[in-house]
Amino acid sequence: MFLFGGQSAGSARLYAVSGKNPPPIGSLGCEIRVKKRGGREEMIKRLNRRFEKMQTLVKILSAAVLILCVATGFVYGKELPPVKIGAAGPFTGDLSKIGLDALNAIQMAVDEANAEGGIGGRKIEVVVGDDMGDPSKGVLVAEKFAMDRNVLGVVGPMNSATAAAALPAYDRAGLVIISQSATNPDLSERGYRVMHRICPRDDAQGPAAARFIVEEVKAKVIYVIDDKSTYGQGLADQVAAALERMGVKLERGQISSEDRDFSPILTRVKAAQPDLVYLGLSNPAQAAGLLKQAVGLGLSTKFMGGDCMKEKDQLVAGAGGAAEGMYITAIGKDIAEVPAAREFIEKFEGKYGAMSVFSGQSYEATKILIEALRAAAGDDPASLNRAKVLDAVHNIRDYNGILGFPISFNEKGDVLGASIYVYQVENDDFVEIKEYPAEV
Amino acid sequence: MHGIFAQLPQQLINGLTLGSVYALLALGYSIVYGILRMLNFAHGDIFMVGSLIGWAVLQLFINGGAVLASPSLVLLLMVCGAVVVTSLLGGAIERFAYRPVQEGSRLTTLISALGASIVLQNIAMLMTQGRAKAYQTELIIPHDWAISAFGATVSATRLIIFCVSIGLMLAMDYAINHTMLGKAMRATSQDREAAEYMGIRTQQVIMAAFIIGSGLAGIAGVMIGLYYTQVDFMIGFSAGMKAFTAAVLGGIGNVRGAMAGGLVLGLAESLGVLFLAPVYKDVIVFSVLIAVLILRPQGILGKPVEEKV
Repeated sequence: MFLFGGQSAGSARLYAVSGKNPPPIGSLGCEIRVKKRGGREEMIKRLNRRFEKMQTLVKILSAAVLILCVATGFVYGKELPPVKIGAAGPFTGDLSKIGLDALNAIQMAVDEANAEGGIGGRKIEVVVGDDMGDPSKGVLVAEKFAMDRNVLGVVGPMNSATAAAALPAYDRAGLVIISQSATNPDLSERGYRVMHRICPRDDAQGPAAARFIVEEVKAKVIYVIDDKSTYGQGLADQVAAALERMGVKLERGQISSEDRDFSPILTRVKAAQPDLVYLGLSNPAQAAGLLKQAVGLGLSTKFMGGDCMKEKDQLVAGAGGAAEGMYITAIGKDIAEVPAAREFIEKFEGKYGAMSVFSGQSYEATKILIEALRAAAGDDPASLNRAKVLDAVHNIRDYNGILGFPISFNEKGDVLGASIYVYQVENDDFVEIKEYPAEV
Repeated sequence: MHGIFAQLPQQLINGLTLGSVYALLALGYSIVYGILRMLNFAHGDIFMVGSLIGWAVLQLFINGGAVLASPSLVLLLMVCGAVVVTSLLGGAIERFAYRPVQEGSRLTTLISALGASIVLQNIAMLMTQGRAKAYQTELIIPHDWAISAFGATVSATRLIIFCVSIGLMLAMDYAINHTMLGKAMRATSQDREAAEYMGIRTQQVIMAAFIIGSGLAGIAGVMIGLYYTQVDFMIGFSAGMKAFTAAVLGGIGNVRGAMAGGLVLGLAESLGVLFLAPVYKDVIVFSVLIAVLILRPQGILGKPVEEKV
């Protein structure tokens, strides 16, 4: 019953517990007994006296705060506050598996940097902002980061929808973000300088998927399903547009991201007898449920999905064999095949178990942010500020990390030189079968 | 739009399967409403707990490696586990959330029910970390156990869900009309005070109603786990809403009405999809409710409420 569990219920309860009425607004908490004391002038006098008292109180308090500040300045004068990196993503809720494995990778990159001395002696700290994949919470996370002056850069937000909602808040704060997985093209077209991402956009992924469907699978009739989310529907739109340009017949259907019963749409799909069903869904667990129910309905067709599906645990294991043969486009190479990533994988899997789809990208994004922080700090880590870090991230050139290609950003903050890869589920594992350069 | 007639048989099967689960849930709403005149809003969440317990029992056997030995026994144990936990839970909720406020206004019990629902949902969220849990249905009932006819596929899972639900409903109908407990329930629902004068321990009857209703919800939870193949802490909300709608549709307080309402709702949901996009399935469901309430405010099988003077 989410409808009734909101914060408003909590605050109403507070008053109920304390048993008092809230103080009347405008009286500053002092009761004004006009009738008993009579006269209007009397009342004004009394009010004035109260205000004077209050002013003295404010003066004393501000003096105390000032003294406290100076005192702490003396005690901590030598040591600079830690540099904070915000981590924004879905760390609870449906997408928490992907989110938490990203967070682990971010923490790992930060720990390594701290072991090497941080940013010129300043420690780095991760501030966690859980947005649950919910756009409205994404904005709250952005505002939380913006208010903390020591947060100088953010890794995330991971979902396109949360990024889209939170971008204006990040932009107002001048706080640079590097997203590891928000692929919606629109994000970098809105003119926000703070926007950066190390994943290719859906207008590269969609056409690549369409090319694969037409040239390799040679499918003639295609059914495209999406979940109405910024990412899911956006990607499905891109695939559908590219397919239409290639003159392929297609039908579309929608589900909602809360759906657990897919029989209605799958029955429609079955009647359309498609050669391939494209799934624009953001939640691999939901896709697994859909695949399983498709088998139960006797629907035998090929399936294909977007980058977030490359989740062994949730998609392949969750579907219990029903995902076998499914195609998946990925926005990065499987880093198990990148020699430079070997050390990261060993360390990560030794500590946290099997990697998730965006663990490698999260690690890389954090490393890039740390590199930029170091460049911006130069010899004077005390002078670090958000504007400098934003410039430094923007000016990253050919950063060689674990993703297998040198990373630079273009004017809009999109990554250059990335590729789209097509994988297929074979014997419960992902096998790379095709690579397309990500041209936009 | 691909041949409505090609989809019709399959959507009928979908509707009957889903409808029978809705009916099972609606039964719990109706029994409690019939006796106490209160809406047990925690019912949907008890159902959710049942589905999660079913999942937990299944995991236990998968980890123990015993699931392949006897899938049908595992399924039975899943249902038993869910029933035991949910009936205890239902009883506990009656004892601690409703009985203390029984004498209060109807609004008080309603708010208490909402509170119980939120508590259950949040406990489940914390225990599952908010993640969806996948039923490994393929280990219990192989996917290829299915009958195909007229372009429709009736999988063994659907058959089991349908048969179990209908069987339970018939048993409930018999129990209410032909056993002592059923008689006591009917008496309590007609006039609690008079029933008490006749020597019926109404407090125990109420407890029994909660326990039975919750047990049915537990079974429905496992059934929906098999059907959806995935469950999470939020499924209670939408399923509870649908079941409540079904109970109102059939005439709340009326047991046969709840069953009819559930089936009508399930069929409306899947047959509506023949003409409208699947995203609108909830719109269809609630439109049916509004239409029925306008034309027949007491529900399909309900009796009109007489004004007492």
